[in-house]
Amino acid sequence: MKVLALLCLIACSDPHGIVLWHAYNGAERAALEETAQAWNRANPDHPLELVAVPFDGFGDKLSSAIPRGNGPDLFIYPQDRIGDWADSNVIEPIEFWVDDARADRFRADAMGAMAYRGSLWGLPMTIKPLALYYRTDLVPTPPRTTNELVAYTKKMHDRDGYALAYANVDLYGHAAWLHGFGGRVMDSDGKLAIATPEAAEAAAFAKELVKSGAVPDDAQAPLVTSLFNEGRAAMAMSGPWFAADIRPGVPWKVATLPIISATGQYAAPFASAEALAMSARAKDKDGAFAVMDFLTSDAAAIVRAKEAHQVVPNPVAYLDRDVAADSTLASFVAQLEHCVPLPTAPAMRMVWTPYRTALGDIFAGRSDPGQRLIKVEEELEGYLRR
Amino acid sequence: MTRQPRLATRIVAHVAVIVLVMVVLYPVMLVCKKAFEPGRDFALSPSPIPHTVTFDHFRTLFGQRGSHGEYLFVRQALNSVVAALATTVVGVFLSCTAAYALSRFKFPGRKAGLTTFVVVQMFPATLLIMPLYVVLDKLGLLNSLTGLVLVYSTTAIPFCVWTLKGYFDSLPRELEEAARIDGASAWLIFRKIILPLARPGLAVTALFSFMTAWNEFILASTFMTSESRYTLPVLIQSSVGEFSSQYGIFAAGAIVTSVPVMAVFYVLQKYLVGGLTAGAVKG
Amino acid sequence: MTGFVHRQLRDFAIAGAFAILIASVAFVAVRNRELIERQLGLADRSAAALAEDREPLPTVHGALIGPALPSPKHAFLRHREVREGAAWRTLASSRPDDKLFYDAATRFDRDHQPFVDLLRDGSGRAVAARAHGTEVAVAVTVPIAPASYPLLVMIGVLGLGAALTAAGALAGGVAARIGAFAGLAVLAIPTLLWHSWFAALAIGLVALAVVQLQRAGLTDRLARGLHHHRVAVSFLAPAGLAMLALVAAPFLLGLILGFYDHHQGTWSFVGLHNFVEILSGNGLDDPLNFWFTLGVTVLWTTCNVVLHVVIGVALALLLSRKWMRGKGVFRMLLILPWAIPNYITALMWHGMFDGQYGAINSLLHAMGLSGVSWWTSWLPSFASNVITNTWLGFPFMMVVALGALQNIPTELYEAAAVDGASSWQRFRHITLPHLRPALGPAVALGSIWTFNMFNVIYLVSNGKPGGTTNILVTDAYRWAFERGDRYGMAAAYGTIIFGILLLWNVLGGRLVRSKEADA
Repeated sequence: MKVLALLCLIACSDPHGIVLWHAYNGAERAALEETAQAWNRANPDHPLELVAVPFDGFGDKLSSAIPRGNGPDLFIYPQDRIGDWADSNVIEPIEFWVDDARADRFRADAMGAMAYRGSLWGLPMTIKPLALYYRTDLVPTPPRTTNELVAYTKKMHDRDGYALAYANVDLYGHAAWLHGFGGRVMDSDGKLAIATPEAAEAAAFAKELVKSGAVPDDAQAPLVTSLFNEGRAAMAMSGPWFAADIRPGVPWKVATLPIISATGQYAAPFASAEALAMSARAKDKDGAFAVMDFLTSDAAAIVRAKEAHQVVPNPVAYLDRDVAADSTLASFVAQLEHCVPLPTAPAMRMVWTPYRTALGDIFAGRSDPGQRLIKVEEELEGYLRR
Repeated sequence: MTRQPRLATRIVAHVAVIVLVMVVLYPVMLVCKKAFEPGRDFALSPSPIPHTVTFDHFRTLFGQRGSHGEYLFVRQALNSVVAALATTVVGVFLSCTAAYALSRFKFPGRKAGLTTFVVVQMFPATLLIMPLYVVLDKLGLLNSLTGLVLVYSTTAIPFCVWTLKGYFDSLPRELEEAARIDGASAWLIFRKIILPLARPGLAVTALFSFMTAWNEFILASTFMTSESRYTLPVLIQSSVGEFSSQYGIFAAGAIVTSVPVMAVFYVLQKYLVGGLTAGAVKG
Repeated sequence: MTGFVHRQLRDFAIAGAFAILIASVAFVAVRNRELIERQLGLADRSAAALAEDREPLPTVHGALIGPALPSPKHAFLRHREVREGAAWRTLASSRPDDKLFYDAATRFDRDHQPFVDLLRDGSGRAVAARAHGTEVAVAVTVPIAPASYPLLVMIGVLGLGAALTAAGALAGGVAARIGAFAGLAVLAIPTLLWHSWFAALAIGLVALAVVQLQRAGLTDRLARGLHHHRVAVSFLAPAGLAMLALVAAPFLLGLILGFYDHHQGTWSFVGLHNFVEILSGNGLDDPLNFWFTLGVTVLWTTCNVVLHVVIGVALALLLSRKWMRGKGVFRMLLILPWAIPNYITALMWHGMFDGQYGAINSLLHAMGLSGVSWWTSWLPSFASNVITNTWLGFPFMMVVALGALQNIPTELYEAAAVDGASSWQRFRHITLPHLRPALGPAVALGSIWTFNMFNVIYLVSNGKPGGTTNILVTDAYRWAFERGDRYGMAAAYGTIIFGILLLWNVLGGRLVRSKEADA
């Protein structure tokens, strides 16, 4: 009997008001919840309910829930699936509610990331570029060029370590070199441009980094963190989230990524913006947009910048005294000048895995870079042809 | 064994088991180490002993609050407990009735029924998630523990039916025939005679059903859409973020999730031990 | 006589339930389709009317939307105005349908052509847009309540059908057959009214089938059989119903979806195209080739099952010996790999296999050996998966074997020892036959689970190097989630995996039976 009562209790608590799904944890989640509570205090009759969803499978859960009417009203997710969702009628175009004043609240590149096929599909919450973290006890001044960076290899080798640690087999980490050499994933029309000589040079460069011992092979985020924390990597290429993973007591700073010595261009990683988007099936769309507006307002952005160290796309937020004093954030904002926006075309989703497999083959010496990239492009064209 | 083998053999056997236990335990100890060491990343040393012990991760895990300020861990642990216990009850009930019928009764389609239970397992579960989602949606069982319990039970049924059928097959029929001559109905025979004798089998199926439900992540994560309905595995997986993960909390959650299973196994262990049918055959 | 009428009515009741189900499904489909067509028609005609400067139909919101006035700073921001009477008003969020007009006009401009479509918000409303000079004529319909279920009609035809059946039964002979057929056929009348030809045909076939079955006497035999075995049925019913709803239905759905292709939210029928594409692969040595992956999967399954059984049974034997000390503790500890959720331990093992700093290589270094680079070549990568899965899987076999060993009466061993049997002979002739009934299903199901084991492959080696350690189920997953939501391909893949396992089981069963026949 008690079990039944318990079951009833469990069954009877349903969400109401506006539901927002997110995949934040730690400080980011705390900052978001603080903003949500501020909204709930000001608008008790339009409550906002946050639901934390595990990131693994978040996108797929949205894709299956929303078309059946079971999804949230709003959600926060990186921009790379915007095109896919826009074409699949999963999200709602919002430029109707946005006027120039609102759009001016954000950086132009962040707003651009929310656009697809002439409409606006979300408001930017934060941008996550990669930059160069360095240990000040091992690296007195940050390297200006890749040659300077690689020069640290010998010194670190003596300490059984590496000059730089980053997730090198993943396209997201490799993109800094790719763009620095002049390569791209897609051209501005959204067509694939993977197999280019520049891309092959970039892959060869990354492979050389591994071979010379400057960079550990196939490092993933946990290893990068551990190496940096234990002083076995002088530098790490990572994003704003990395700061929370650094152990207390480790002296560190952030600088912009160096210039590629071979081309004289800045290493330019992807700038991935996180979008706050509205479901096409949201019941109270005007109310949902009001929440979107509030969550991306300058005041909310300042909270997120201060407490979660998010790189927010609201320029006004950087006028706040505490945010302005944050040199790490300043370095990330400086890095934004040398970033390439992440393409929103639906084909982008399919690029990650084949490219990662290709980089693995190239670094292991199993394939020639140029030819391997041609195979990647052929494989992707196979999927796109349907 | 009637005679004890030589001392040397016995010592070798004990050593072998101890070595194997250490091999088995090593990754587990690494998880424990991660749960008790401060910091979010993995230390690079292979030693399974944490260099500093802290309970911070456990504190954070238990202290997580939802958007209404309620304690998430308690709520979701409760969901897990309810789901797992209900799955055990439902799963065992559904399986032992079906297994008894397949073991004792002769009816057309018996062979087919038996193989069906195996055959339906062959479609990979990972690919059934989408169709299952659609079916649950139509039945209105999304985001409800009832739906989850039913799905878990049906997942556990094939193995449970086969195992229980094996156990029932090995039970001698004289007892039942005697009872039938005395006029007992099939359900009575089932309840009063067969079930007590099949305790080892029931113990295995109960353990299996419990663990199917308790450790399951992907279905719970897909079907539940509000935090108050999440189960523990979903809570633990939430600490793995897109770029950075709170591995300490992840490990702490892993330990907390494993303890109940060990407890259930400990409780059911005595049913796995002891030849309960030995006496019945003789009599 | 009354017995006969009774049986005819029983058959009518069961078949009638089927027929009503078909009719209801047809009703829902027709209702939805009609609703959609009506909405689309209303929207289209209203938009056409507006484009010709006439009034839109009543209950439809129509408006003329002015051209887009883009903002000079942001290309994707535009103002639009709507004509109201003689004046123009800017579209704003304060009016309920303004956003719908705005979005429709935007879409018209982007695609440069008129359109009629349902709104994407699931409300069942339709929107249409046409050109009107430089302006766009947009019409949006209001939600229409769906027709309610025609309960009275259904009850009426059911009553009529029952009456016809009973009348025929009372008359007897040929009239009984006609009555039975007519009684069921009458249930098709509503579907005919709804123009649901397929449903009507289906009901007609059901009626025909029932009459034929009756002539062959099969319905009576079935009913008698069910009654005779009613105890068995009552025992099987709970599990059967649950499996039907939650296993059979998704399974059938999965099978059907394999014949469709999913692209950005829409499903289209492609017949066998998915299957052909999967099976034809890309050439025999390309890792994406289906047959290579199949080979890897079979090897993977065999290695794992053999290791699981050997280790599990050996441990169970050791832990059942009376002279073994600390049995309880060992049993508890050895079940840990099964107790901890496997997505956690798979990640842990993944970390342990790491090239430079993983625990395994560190231990090898400490012992003076050189480390192994686990994922740069096929064999170590495959081995890493097998090691992890063996660690995860042997406790299960151990538990099953432990349970089975408890059932072996000790007198058998005593008798064998008296007869002078060696321990190997005792194992082969006493232990093994008793283990088989319990291990048989465990091995059969265990090998199916291993064949479809997704977590370990995905989390430990993730297909490295180069996708060569993928097994069939991880490849299928990638179709669903990494190559553009191609759920149809994934479903077809699942069907193929199912077919392979089914074939293997059937052949394996034949093999086992023939060996037993020879022995």
